[in-house]
Order: sequence, then C-alpha cells, then structure tokens
Amino acid sequence: MSTSAETPDSGVSLRRRTPIRWYILVFLAPATLIYTVFAIYPIAESLRLSLFQVESGERSYVGFANYARLMSEPYWAEQFWNAFKNNVLLFLLHMLIQNPIALALAAMLSVPTLKGAATYRTIFFLPTLLSVVVVGFIWQLILSPLWGVTPAFMNFIGAGSFFRPWLGLETSALVTVTLISIWQYVGIPMMLFYAALLNVPEETIEAARIDGLSGWSIFWKIKLPLILPTLGLVGILTYIGNFTASFDLIYSIQGGLAGPDGSTDVMGTFLFRTFFGFQSQLGDVYMGATVASMLFFIILVGVGTYLFGVQRRLQRYTS
Amino acid sequence: MIMRERISSAGIHAVLLAYSALALFPLALIVINSLKSKRAIFGSPLAIPDAESFSAEGYASVLTNSDFPLYFSNSLIVTGVSLVLILLLGAMAAHALSEYRFPGDAFIGIYLILGIMVPIRLGTVALLELIVDMGLANTLTALILVYTAQGLPIAIFIFTEFLRSVSREIKDSARIDGLSEYRIFFEVVVPLVRPVIATVAVFSMIPIWNDLWFPLILSPGEETRTVTLGVQQFIGQYTVNWGAVLAALSVAILPVLVMYMIFSKQLIRGITAGAVKG
Amino acid sequence: MATLDLKGIRKSFGKLEVIRDIDLAVNDGELVVFVGPSGCGKSTMLRMIAGLETATQGEIHIGGQRVDHLPPADRGIAMVFQSYALYPHKDVRGNLGFALKHAKVDPAEINRRVNIASDILGLSEMMERKPRELSGGQRQRVAIGRAIVREPDVFLFDEPLSNLDAALRVHMRVEILKLHQRIGNTMIYVTHDQVEAMTLADRIVVFRDGNIEQVGTPLELYRQPANAFVAGFIGSPAMNFLVAEVSGGQVRVADRTLCTSSAPDGPAKLGLRPEHLELDDNGPLEGKVSVFEHLGGESFVHLTLADEQTLVAKLDGAHEFVPGATCRLAIAPEQCHVFDADDQRITTRAISGEAA
Repeated sequence: MSTSAETPDSGVSLRRRTPIRWYILVFLAPATLIYTVFAIYPIAESLRLSLFQVESGERSYVGFANYARLMSEPYWAEQFWNAFKNNVLLFLLHMLIQNPIALALAAMLSVPTLKGAATYRTIFFLPTLLSVVVVGFIWQLILSPLWGVTPAFMNFIGAGSFFRPWLGLETSALVTVTLISIWQYVGIPMMLFYAALLNVPEETIEAARIDGLSGWSIFWKIKLPLILPTLGLVGILTYIGNFTASFDLIYSIQGGLAGPDGSTDVMGTFLFRTFFGFQSQLGDVYMGATVASMLFFIILVGVGTYLFGVQRRLQRYTS
Repeated sequence: MIMRERISSAGIHAVLLAYSALALFPLALIVINSLKSKRAIFGSPLAIPDAESFSAEGYASVLTNSDFPLYFSNSLIVTGVSLVLILLLGAMAAHALSEYRFPGDAFIGIYLILGIMVPIRLGTVALLELIVDMGLANTLTALILVYTAQGLPIAIFIFTEFLRSVSREIKDSARIDGLSEYRIFFEVVVPLVRPVIATVAVFSMIPIWNDLWFPLILSPGEETRTVTLGVQQFIGQYTVNWGAVLAALSVAILPVLVMYMIFSKQLIRGITAGAVKG
Repeated sequence: MATLDLKGIRKSFGKLEVIRDIDLAVNDGELVVFVGPSGCGKSTMLRMIAGLETATQGEIHIGGQRVDHLPPADRGIAMVFQSYALYPHKDVRGNLGFALKHAKVDPAEINRRVNIASDILGLSEMMERKPRELSGGQRQRVAIGRAIVREPDVFLFDEPLSNLDAALRVHMRVEILKLHQRIGNTMIYVTHDQVEAMTLADRIVVFRDGNIEQVGTPLELYRQPANAFVAGFIGSPAMNFLVAEVSGGQVRVADRTLCTSSAPDGPAKLGLRPEHLELDDNGPLEGKVSVFEHLGGESFVHLTLADEQTLVAKLDGAHEFVPGATCRLAIAPEQCHVFDADDQRITTRAISGEAA
C-alpha cells in the first residue's frame, strides 16, 4: 500500500515519505497487550519472585537460595522429588498407553470404507469435553467399593477377587488416576493422528495397493513414516499437558494433599499447595514462585528438546 | 479376498464398539442415576430409572441448595465474553500478521504463538498478585482477562494459518474500491474466516468452561463462582447426597454436550484441516 | 499375450450410473487412449481395470485371464498416477524397488530391473534423491519407472501429464511415445486432451457420459467421426457446426450448395473443420469478418454469416483482414460432414457424385 519512488537521475530523490500504517498497530495491540500483561509478564514475574524471600518481614533478594532449599531441605525436597517422580511416571504412562491407543483408534477410523466413522469419532471425543470434576467424580463412584459397580462387573467376568479400592491405595492410586486421565484425554491425540492419517495422499496409498501391499503393511510402511511429525507433536503436547494440567484431575479426586500419602502428588498439586497452603501447610509465595519456575524450566527442557532435537530430525515430506 | 476384508472389517467394528461402550458408559451412568431416588442409586446403580425408582429429587436439591443458576450465568458470562474477545482480537492480530509486512512481524508472530507451548498457569503466583493489585480479585473480569490471554495464541495460530491461504485479491480489489483497512477487515476478512470460527470457538470454549484452577485461585467467592467450581464444592459438601451430586454433574455436562452436538462437524473438519502443522 | 478385454462393464455409484455397458477389445502392444470430457467415466474405467474400483457388472480379462475378482497387485498391471503418487519418505531407488522389495524378490533381480528402468528414463543421476528434491518432470519419470520395474502386462496411465506445464507436456508426450516404441507393452492412457490422444494413440476410445462414442485410429476419428460429439471433440480448433438445409440431396447454407448427401430433406447439421476452409472469392460461404487472430505462421478469421451463424477458418500464412469487411470461403465437398437430427453421421457425397 505504501511505496517509495525515486527518479534515477535527479539530484534530489523524490521519495514519498512512508506513512505510518496505524491500522497495523490497532489490529495487533489489544491482543498483544492482554497476552503480554496476563500471560507473559506473570510468568516472567514469577521467575523473578523466585529469587526473593521474606526475611524478618521484608521482601529481600536471596538469589538462588529458594532453589537450593527446594532441592535439598528435607521438608521441601521430599515433596519436590516425589512430585517430580510421580509426574514423570504419569508422563511415561500417557506416552506408552494413551498415545498408542489413540494411534490405533485413529488408524481404524481412517479406513476409508468404515461405516459410521463419524459417529465413532464423535463418541470417542466426548470424554475430552467433560469437566475433570465430572470425570473425577464419576470414576470415583465407579471404582468405589461402596457403590458396587466395579466389583459387580468384575464378579461378572470372574475376576471378582482382584478388586481393590485402587484409588485409595498408595501403590495403585497414581496409576489409577493416570488411567482415568487417559480415558478422558485420548480423544485429542486421536484427532491429531486421524487428521495426519487423512493427509496421506490417497493416490500414494493406491500406488501401494497396486504394488501389492495390504492394509497392515500400508499402515506400517507408508502411513506411519509419513505421520512421524505428528507423533512428535503429540509427544510434546502430552509432555506439557501432563506437567501442568494434571492438577485438575488429581485435585478433584484426591484433593490438595494428593493422597493417599502424597502418592498422587504431581508438580501441579505441589505448586498449588506450596503457593496457597492447604490445611496445615502455610502458603509461601516465594517458594511457590520457585516451584513454578522449576516447572517452567522442566517444560522448557522438553520444548527445547522437541524443537531442536525431535522436530529437526522428523522432516516433513511435503512435496 | 473379499471374505478377508469382511472379517477384518467386523473385527475393527468390534474393537470400536467396545471402546465406545467404555467411553459412554460413565456418562450414561451419571445421567441415568441422576434421575433415580437415593435408594435406587445405591441399590441398583446399573438399572434404568423406572416408575418406582424415578425421582428428580437430585435436581431439586441442586436447584434449592446451591446457587446453580448463578454459577451457570457466571460460567456463561466468563466463557462468552472471553470467547468474543479471543475471536475478535485473535482475528485482528492474525489479519495483521498474515496480510501486512512490517519490521518485526516475524518476531511478533512467534512471540504470540509461543503461548501455545507455555502454559499460563506457571505465572499464577505473579498473576494473583497482579489481579489483586489491579483490584480485580474475585471478579469475573479477572477470569475473562486471563482466559483471553490463555486462548489468544492458539486462536491466532489457527486464524493465521487459515488467512495465509486466502488470496490477497479480494482485499486488493476492496482497496482499489477505496475501503479503509479497518473496513476491509470487518467487511471482507471477517466473513472469510467463518469456516474456522467454529473450530477456534470450540477449542477455546471447552477449556474455559471446564477450568478449575483459575476460578479456584482468582475468584473463589460465592458471587463469582463458575459451574465447574460450584460442582466441585458441591460435591465436597454433599458427598453423601448422590442424587444431588449426579444431578449437578448432569447439569454441568449439558451445555458442553449441546455445543458439541451443534459444532462437531465443523470442529472435526477444522481440526483435520488445520491442526496437522507440526 | 497382454490383451485386454472388457465385456459388458457397468458401474454405478449408488443410483448414479457412471459406466453404461462398455465392450472393448485391446490388442497386445497397442497404445489405446481413453479420451473424453470430465465426468465421462474414462478415469473410472481405468481404475476398474486397475482394480481400485469394482465393476457393478461385467468382466475384465487381461491376457485371456479373468481378473475382475483379483486385487490390483495380482492383475499384471502397473499404474502411473496424475499426481505421480511417489513415496515421499523413500528416495528414487527406494521408490522404484519398493514393490519388489515388499514381494521379497531377490535383491540382485531388483537391482537389475531398477537399473533397466533407470537407463530407459535417464534417472541414474538422481537415484539417491527424495521426491521433494525433484522437479515435476523428474517425478513423472520416476513414476513411470516404478511402473516399468514391475514388468506388467498392461501399463495404465491416468492423465499423467496434466500437472506439467505446457512445454514439458509436449516433451513428455514424445518421451512416452518413444517409451512405447521401445518396450512395446500394451498401454491404456487416459486424458482429456485430444492433442495427446491424437499424437499418442494407436487407437482412440472416445467416452461420453459413460458410453463409448467411437473407437478408431486417430485418422479414422478425424476423417469419419461417427457423430457430432466426436467430430467436435477431435481436432483443434474445434469443428464448426452450421445449421444447413437439405433439399433434394443438396446440402445448402444460405441458399448456396456445399455438398450432396443422402440425408432426407429438412434441416441437418453441417460440420466444417476450420483448417479445411479456404479463401475463395466465389466461395459459397459469405460473411462479415468479426475478429481475426495472427499467429505468425497461420491466421484465424471469425466470420458472421448472413443468417447470424458464425464460422472460424484457419488459414496458412499471415492475412490482413478488416473487421466488418466481407469475406468468402469455400470448402471441398468431401471435407463436409453432415449429421442428422440425432447428431449421427450421414455419408456425404461430393457435388460431382463421389461418396466421401
């Protein structure tokens, strides 16, 4: 819209001054402003706050002392490392259970001759839409020994003796909560895989059929290699989600203490407790900021690995 | 050959049906039991409510003992206003990024979209301080601002990707006709992004409606409670009154289900069209 | 013997019938082109031969064997797709050898065949490259190479040149012709471009709305189109059609006789090819020049006749015309095509009495 013009030979260049395109500013400013103030600044500020503590009633700069306390002082370190370990386990379980299931479902849904694919898709995505509160509570009910739905079901299939109140047992609570989370969220990677599978060109698959490949081989040798970028994307999204959003479900089911006995404590619940306090534990703003910053770094490591390690290697085969 | 295909097709359907049952069963359980009397819930949880066991006492409890209509309207306001802001501001920013070249446009683009990978919750500590300092504690406004900030990156990303594929010509011809850039945005670009609005809307709306973290932290007060928080507190209070709890859950599910039913086709089309970029 | 026989093929998608009762016999080593406007069913027919679609009715025989219940890989066919359909994650060598590798063919044999294909198509310099590093023409050659490696009985081409630019298309046309001369397999080639059809085909099959309008050599279709559709489809620029009046065996336009015909008295459709019209001061076709186009070596002049009908004539050399000026054209009687009310061809006779 704005151009500059020069005549080649004249001594004075007749350059029209480029008018400032105010409208660009108007279009960009509101979003950038809200985003910066309420998303970026708080994160930056949290990082900054983690370098401070209250000493004798005054906020003072303490450098990395909070971090040292977090990782070495028993009261904090125990919780931190426990939460971290649980979170890693949560992530691994999601990667090993949720994503293969999502891939399998997406693969089945993408068979072109499948009748009712749209209906199945709608059904499978439904749990993802529910509030964690709903999901947490209903599964609590289902798995509760009092209500009897699960024991009855297990008796029905002859495994009655294997029933345990899994949510209430230290050894099994985390895994159980993870499975509930998987139940709820499998729809998202499923959709992403499905979209990626659809994007494999139809003619390429037909060429493979002519070359003699059957459905199974076509999946392994043609489709899977071509959706590797999506596998990477799903991986990093799972990572980020597991370290941040896992709070909601666990808080709903097990409460702020993430029992039993901290066995379901993850970084999110730990952060919440640290920041706000819970029952007998007092909130500590600065330690909270420290936990948040640790979480930020953990996520940064993941995202960094993805952007520079994984994504570069999984080149997209766009023609 | 055809036989083999038929068998594997049946096998696939078997798996998909089984999983459908797994996905729907808990939902069905909630709704069925929300309409039963307390005794019936306990006694025969799997049974469909019949004349004997039917009871709307759960719903009655919900409506009388808690301020669900208020929570509902809170959720509605927060989600609705956030959505409008996300859509409008997001479209504006995406339009600026995709249409115009200016110094720093690549940087701003990356800056805005970075938010997809950086969870806003991490800044909660400072966010709460900020909200309090601004005098917005326990207000719906605080929630709206935070959710808008949260939803903008993905909205901008989806809109930008979409707008990039729209040809310049229609906008250029509007320019030749003398329309200002603002008019071009509202009268030419906005109608153009209609196909993806549903996608962005559903993507944004659901995490906002279902969110527990921010209502809990920023606006837990009675007047500003959202449905999700309300249900959670309600469950805490009324754990034994299962009929009421189940009714509350059903009430919480309903709007999401309705929105999903209406928009599912567009949502899936939108996801399959735009979400594959890595 | 790689013959191809289609017997009574019908295909419907639900209620929509797209192929209606096709019979065709293709000889060993022939290059047969399926041509027709979009939606005519030619691609569907090809895909049924390939096995990517199943016919609702009818039989397909390749080399004398009935194949319509066999999967594509067992039919002895290979296909070249419009979008090339190369495997993006494999290099050229991998693309060429993929089918054989999957079938667990001996690696030495795979190498042998891959090298042959590579020689024929000039691919040896790009064997390690991936498809996204290749140009359109190169990808097309790899796609053809992939088909050659399978040593099929019948080659199937589905509009392979449509995605190439005009100059490349002309070049690749010649390459495909040379390829056919060299390896001599039976080939079925689908295109909507009648120039490709005319230059490549041993025989052309013209499709319209799921029917075969005519089968014949290019020259047969050009000289003796069976109906007005084929006449108008083959030949570029397209044939002129005039409304003519037959009276007493004389075919007349604007009261001037152009040729004789065995058509009954009454209205008829007269087809005149632009390249057969000549300037003639005494010619029977008189009209005013509306538009003319100079192409250097030839000119096109558009005439409007007295009865408002229009004509295009293609003339050699550069002619100067004045818009609005009167111009007269003549045509040899044996170059006239007469069609009846159903657009079917009627034999014409020259004014001197010879049958055309």
